[in-house]
Amino acid sequence: MMYLAEAAPGSHPLTPVCGDQSVSLLVLRFYYCGFTLDTLASSSIAILVTMAIAFFVASRLRSGQPGKLQMVLELLLGYVRSLVRESVAEDATFIVPIAATIGLYILVANWLEFFPLAFSTYVRAANADLNQTLAMALVVILIVQWYSIRALGFGGYLRRFTKPFELPIWARALFVPLNILEEIIKPITLSLRLFGNIFAGVLMVYLLSLWFQAAIYWAPLSVVALVAWKFFDVFFVGSLQAFIFMLLTVMYFGAAREGLEEELHAAHASGSHHADRTPAPTTTTSN
Amino acid sequence: MNHAIAVAGALIGAGLALGGGAIGAAIGDGLGGSATIQGVSRQPEAQGRLMALFGIVIGLVEAMYFINLGLGFYFITSVASGVQ
Repeated sequence: MMYLAEAAPGSHPLTPVCGDQSVSLLVLRFYYCGFTLDTLASSSIAILVTMAIAFFVASRLRSGQPGKLQMVLELLLGYVRSLVRESVAEDATFIVPIAATIGLYILVANWLEFFPLAFSTYVRAANADLNQTLAMALVVILIVQWYSIRALGFGGYLRRFTKPFELPIWARALFVPLNILEEIIKPITLSLRLFGNIFAGVLMVYLLSLWFQAAIYWAPLSVVALVAWKFFDVFFVGSLQAFIFMLLTVMYFGAAREGLEEELHAAHASGSHHADRTPAPTTTTSN
Repeated sequence: MNHAIAVAGALIGAGLALGGGAIGAAIGDGLGGSATIQGVSRQPEAQGRLMALFGIVIGLVEAMYFINLGLGFYFITSVASGVQ
């Protein structure tokens, strides 16, 4: 039965690199010099599986009669491509590999959680560690900042922090702290959303396995609940969270060039035409 | 004795967080569901796209509750192991 369950969730064993250096915040301690070996092991398994799937599909690429896996991956890639084209820009194709890789990796890492991982304390659900998800979110948000500066220029990047552009200048100054806070909170919510979902899934599996051990007459019910939860958690929540992480990555890239569209509209209203820029797509109404 | 009080406080706090989180998630699910039903009854041909959007919204709403659950457990265990 314990092989169905996960290991007891909680703190990860820390392998220090340069002593026990930590920042204490209320009851939590953040160790910034060291790494968690179990997350490294399980995420490298997920990376290897992801790369194996990707290279397997790439090696037997057929244009006429695509295989099933190839069709699924093409569907994913086509969706990400159209999403980037619609919500970011036509020429921002460099986002497609970033978002699609992150989405596929998280999907594989979440689905690997379906297998009973309790045979080793070093193999867990990879995303059930905040270090892992926060690293991904920080990478995404740093690339978003770089893209924002590249697309808007440094002045436009700073101007984006006075965001509701149609307000008078004193009201926009009031919004500056809020906008800075929003930019800081973005990676935190992005990482906490994925971590919280996967960690809560592992936690529920652990609690259900405790229920199994509590008394023999609870065993059938707890097995049913465990299997149902495992399916729901892995295949619904896991896929949904991978999709949402990918979607929000693209959306943050879209938000990074917010001032640009507004300037274009202003320039368009004042009469100067930019031939190379396409106007915002007009909404079509159907019956 | 202090340890027992701290753990009791952590359990009460986690219970409050779970209860409030459940209320919030329920309201959010209900709002999303009602908007989806309105959209489908207004434009039945848009059901496929609306259901996909509904799934995303449900995922975003439910995520808050799962964050509550996970962090509540973290706080309980860290209080239980951290306070002597």
